[in-house]
Amino acid sequence: MAAPVPHPDKEPDAAPAASTRSAGRLLYLAGVILLCAWVLVPIYFLMINTLSAPETVNSFPKPFFPEFDLGSLQFFAGFAGMLAALKNSILVAALTMIMSIAIGSPAGYALSRFDFPGKELFRLLILLTRAFPLPLLALPLAVMFIQTGLDDTQFGLALVHTTLALPFAVLITFSLFSGIPIELEEAAWTLGCTRLTAFTKVVLPLILPGITASAIFAFVISWNEVFAAAVLTIENRTLTAFLLQSLDTPPLHLKFAGGFILVVPALIFIFAVRKYLFAMWGIANR
Amino acid sequence: MTYARKMLGAASGLALLVAAGAAQADVLFWSTQANPVEEQQAMRDQVLSGHDDAVDYQSNELGPWITRLEAELQADSGTIGLLGALHGNFSAMDPENLVDLGDMGVMSASDTFNDLAKLGTDSMQYMPWMQASYIMAANREALHYLPEGADIDALTYDQLIEWAANAHEAAGEPKFGFPAGPKGLKHRFFQGYLYPSYTNGVVRTFASDKAVTAWEKFRELWAHTNPGSTNFSFMQEQLLSGDAWIVFDHTSRLANAFNERPDDFVAFPAPAGPEGRGFMPVLAGVAIPRTAPDMEASKALIAHLMKPETQIATLKATSFFPVVDVDLPDDLPPSVKAAGDAVAKMSGSADANPGLLPAGLGDKGGDFNRVYVDTFERIVLAGQPIEAVLQDQKTRLEAIMNETGAPCWAPDAPSEGACPVE
Repeated sequence: MAAPVPHPDKEPDAAPAASTRSAGRLLYLAGVILLCAWVLVPIYFLMINTLSAPETVNSFPKPFFPEFDLGSLQFFAGFAGMLAALKNSILVAALTMIMSIAIGSPAGYALSRFDFPGKELFRLLILLTRAFPLPLLALPLAVMFIQTGLDDTQFGLALVHTTLALPFAVLITFSLFSGIPIELEEAAWTLGCTRLTAFTKVVLPLILPGITASAIFAFVISWNEVFAAAVLTIENRTLTAFLLQSLDTPPLHLKFAGGFILVVPALIFIFAVRKYLFAMWGIANR
Repeated sequence: MTYARKMLGAASGLALLVAAGAAQADVLFWSTQANPVEEQQAMRDQVLSGHDDAVDYQSNELGPWITRLEAELQADSGTIGLLGALHGNFSAMDPENLVDLGDMGVMSASDTFNDLAKLGTDSMQYMPWMQASYIMAANREALHYLPEGADIDALTYDQLIEWAANAHEAAGEPKFGFPAGPKGLKHRFFQGYLYPSYTNGVVRTFASDKAVTAWEKFRELWAHTNPGSTNFSFMQEQLLSGDAWIVFDHTSRLANAFNERPDDFVAFPAPAGPEGRGFMPVLAGVAIPRTAPDMEASKALIAHLMKPETQIATLKATSFFPVVDVDLPDDLPPSVKAAGDAVAKMSGSADANPGLLPAGLGDKGGDFNRVYVDTFERIVLAGQPIEAVLQDQKTRLEAIMNETGAPCWAPDAPSEGACPVE
C-alpha cells in the first residue's frame, strides 16, 4: 500500500526535471525545424516563383501555393542550346568525378599507409591548389588549351574541374583509409592476398560509401563552376556557364525559372546518392 | 619518350578529334551587351537570323569576355569573329589588337561617335553599333505629389528633391530609387548628370565650390531615397515591385517596367541644375580582333548590323537606339517609345548640357569611375565632410589624369595635354 504513494520530498524535484527534459526536447525540435526551413524555404519559394505568372512574381506577399503558370519555363524550353548545355554539364561533371577519384584515392591511400619525407608538407600543398582564384589561372590555362587543342572540349574543362576537386578527393580518401586498421590488410596478406587483392577485396568494399561521397563533392564543384567553363568552352558550354552569367539582369520571373533549372538536376543527383553521403558520416543503416 | 609524354600526346590527340567534330563555320559574336536571357533570345531570333551566314551569338560577363579574348590574342589563334562591347571596354584595349575598320564604307551618323571609335588612332578601331542614355522614370502614383508648378519634362534638382520629399511623406517611407548597388551605374549619374548640371564640368571642377553644392543637394535627395538603394542595380525591378516610385537609370535597365505595365509608369528627362540639364550617352560598338578566323565573314556581319532595318530590329530586341539615320516604325515596344521620347525631350531642351563619354583613359577607366563611387560612398553613405573628401579624392583623380595624359572632354573646357583638376 505504501509503494504506490510517492515519496513526499521527491515530488518537488521530479517536476523541474521533467520540464527541463521537455524544454530540451522543444529546443531540439526547434533546432531541427529551423535547420530544415533554412534549406527548404528558399527552394520552396524558388519553385513557387518559377510556377507563377510575372505579375505574381513581382507582387508581395507571395501566394503559398503555386498557380502552375508554365510561361517562364516555356521560355527556357525554347531557349537555343539548353539541352546541349545540360548534356555538357553532366558529361563534364561525370568526367570530373571519375578522374578526381582515379587520381585522388591512390594519393589518399599513399598518404595514409606510407611514410615518406615531406608528407606533411605535401598534405598542406594539396590544399594550396585552392588558394589561387580561377580568374587568375584562366588566362594562361586558356592560352595553353588553345595551343594544345584542348580548347572548347568537355575533356579539357573536366581536367580543370578535376584540379579543383582533387584536394577534397585526396583529403577525404586519406581520412577514410586512415580509419581502416592496417591489421585488416596484414591479415589478408597472411591469407594469401597480394597488396592489390587485399586492397580490392578487403579495403575497397569498406570505403566505397566514402568514395561516393567524395565523388559527390567533385560533381557539385564541377556543376557550380562558372568562370573556367565560360572562358574555356565556346560550342560546348556547360549549363552553368550558359545560364548563370545571363541571369543577373533579366526580369525576376525568368531569374527564378533559370535558377530553378540550375538547381533541380543537382538536387536530383544528390537525392539519388544521399545514402552514401550519410554513410560517410557514420549515420547510415549500413 | 616518357610515359607521361605519351599520355599527354594521347590526351591532346583525343581532344583534337573531339574538337574537329564540333568545329563549324559560324561567325562567333562574342558580346558583353544584350546579356539577359530574353535579350539574347531576341538577338538570335530577330537580329541575327536575317544575316546570310549563321551567327553564334554568345553574351558573357565582362570577366570571362576579356579573359577569353586575351587568351586568343596571346595564343595567336582565335575563334571569336566579332566583339560587341561598350566604348569603355574598347578604349581599355590596345588598338593594335583590333582590325582597322576605316575602309568599311559604313559608319555611324554621328561624327562624335566615329571620332570616339578611332581610340586616338587615325582609323576607326570599332564600329559604333548602338546607343542609349540614362533617364528618369516614375510610377504614375507619384505624379500626385509633384511640387506645385513643376513641369515633369523640365524638372530642376530642387524640384526633384521636393517631389521625393512629398512622396516620402505621403507614402510614409522614402520612395526615390537610385542604382547604387554593386552592379548599379551610379558613377555615370555623377559623371554625366550631377557634375555637369551643377559645375559644367567633370574633371576640372571636381573639387570646386559648385561641386560642394552638388554633393549637398545629393545628400538632401538621399534623405528621401530608399535606403535599400545600395542594393539596387536594375531599377525596373523596384519600379515593378513598388519599392521605388521615382528612379534614375539606364534606358535598357528600365525597359521591363514599361513593357510589362506600360500604363503604370512615365519616363521623363533628367533634372537640370544651375549649369543646365546635364546628360550623357551610352555607346556600344562592334570590333574585329586581329585573330578572327574569317575576316570577310566578320566584316559582312558588321555590314549587316549597320543596315537600317537591322538597327531597328536591334532597338526592339535590346532597347538600344540606332546610330545610323533610320525612320522609326510605329510598332515599337512601349519601353522604346517612352525612353525615346524622354531622350528627345532631354536633348532638345533649351538648357541641355550634353556631356561625352570619358575618353583617353585607356585601362584606367575603372579607376576613374572608382574615384566618383568612393566619393559618393564617403560623403553620402559614411557622412564624411564634403570639402575634406573632395580634396582627398582630388589627388587620386589628378594622378589618373596625369598618368594617362587624357585631355578634357565635354562639358569640361578643352585642355592642352592632360585635363587639369582645378
